[in-house]
Amino acid sequence: MSSREPLWFCHECHAEMRPLMVPDPVCASCQGSFVEKMENPADDPREFAHHGPGDFDAEGLPPGMDAFLFGLQALVDRGTAEGRTQPSRVGSGNGASGNRLTFQISGGSSQRPNIGGRSGSGTGSSGPVPTIFIRRDSDTPQGTSITGPLMAQYLMALLGQRDPLNDLVGRDLSDGRMGDYVFNQEALDQIITQLMENSNAHRPVPATEEIISNLPREVLEYGSPMLEKDCAVCKEQFKLETEDPDEQVVVTLPCKHPFHEPCILPWLKSSGTCPVCRHALIPQPEHQSPPAGGPSTNPDSARHSPDSSRSRSPRRDPDGHDATGILHSLFGGFVGGRGHTQAGGNGHNRSNSDPALRSSGRGTDSRNNVPGSWEDLD
Amino acid sequence: MTSISARRLGKELTEIKAEGCPVGINLVKADDFATWWFTIEVMGESLYQGEKYTLQFRFDSNYPISSPAVQFVVGDGKVSPVHPHVYSNGHICASILGNEWSPVLSVIAVCVTIQSMLASCKKKERPTDNDRYIRFAPDNPKKTRFHYDDDTV
Repeated sequence: MSSREPLWFCHECHAEMRPLMVPDPVCASCQGSFVEKMENPADDPREFAHHGPGDFDAEGLPPGMDAFLFGLQALVDRGTAEGRTQPSRVGSGNGASGNRLTFQISGGSSQRPNIGGRSGSGTGSSGPVPTIFIRRDSDTPQGTSITGPLMAQYLMALLGQRDPLNDLVGRDLSDGRMGDYVFNQEALDQIITQLMENSNAHRPVPATEEIISNLPREVLEYGSPMLEKDCAVCKEQFKLETEDPDEQVVVTLPCKHPFHEPCILPWLKSSGTCPVCRHALIPQPEHQSPPAGGPSTNPDSARHSPDSSRSRSPRRDPDGHDATGILHSLFGGFVGGRGHTQAGGNGHNRSNSDPALRSSGRGTDSRNNVPGSWEDLD
Repeated sequence: MTSISARRLGKELTEIKAEGCPVGINLVKADDFATWWFTIEVMGESLYQGEKYTLQFRFDSNYPISSPAVQFVVGDGKVSPVHPHVYSNGHICASILGNEWSPVLSVIAVCVTIQSMLASCKKKERPTDNDRYIRFAPDNPKKTRFHYDDDTV
């Protein structure tokens, strides 16, 4: 290509263009948000549009694919029947036009299963209950169980590109949050702020009552060598005449640093360390983080600088990547990996979504995670 | 009245007035034991030569057990220094203001630390997450749990 910057491909109107980037990339011609950067020649999004995912052969859908798509259709019907008044429709027109969810399944001359989903301003539907979406079936020993309706909702959320779940759930998601899931930058920022404010992991560990009560105490008396010394907390010299009799009690830490009892006790209850030398009365978290290790390998990154945790964003990439990712995972799992890995394993997928999706499809994930969940935020 | 915090701050203030501040640091106001202002200049050769910034301390009644809330004053003609650990809203990412605070530290000790943090700066730039941070930053920087990942500047 002669141009320096790669063009983008719009999965909605199939235009190749340079998107409008604010706040998220949208198609310059149809304003759709299902756009994908064409930066990887090995994963040309046009291939997806023109030839379908992978290499379906010329005789039509792979064996069983019909049944699978109809099964998916049924799941979607069930999923949407809970909360939507608009029914899904089979085989009607262009998947990306209008407010209706359409699943077009064609087996004839056009060998492409075209799953298009796009709901417009949903009319008066109350939407699925949020909790169903984030539920974990912990008592299922077989790994993640994503129920049919749940998967259907998830799939539709990914396909409903504009504001993924807004369309489904309507006003309930106006703040872009649903449990730990976020659907726009602002909601993500809020969650991160929350994490930054609430995180306890790097806070000092207070000394226990037992440790505190076992510290040696000395009541000052005439001639005590202690009278030569200062309390490092209040910076006062130890002295005999005090308003508060407690101040004549000196606590000496194991590191030999002495303090007024009323000065050191409140400190030890917030941090079990010596104020002077940081001697730890109780094991403390490391003050410094591990020097290396990117955000993906460092489980602590979520609470750190907002920048490093950004990479954990469930919506970092334009949604097209995730949507194609999940579709490829689905189809790949179904047809036994018949040549679909090439597109499914493209570099755009976030590292934490792809394995989760895959393994959940096979039921071998031991972590019981819904796709895209934040795995290690406990 | 004679809380530990008032006594301790009174003692610090007396010392500041008696002995003066270290070079480059000047007391602007300390009318009460709630908010103090200092100006900070970096002496000698540095990226901040000739620049003067205002540092604000806010104390609660648990000082010095709890750390002071320290930030640069922004607005009214005052700006925060452009530094990888200083956000444009004046908040400072420094471990001694957070989980490495110790009651042994004092107002002047914090001033000197911030001063040397500026003095050792090699490149004037904002933290990479500045824009995001200031959008949702709490008013009080103590409510932010910074991650101290870089002790080189």
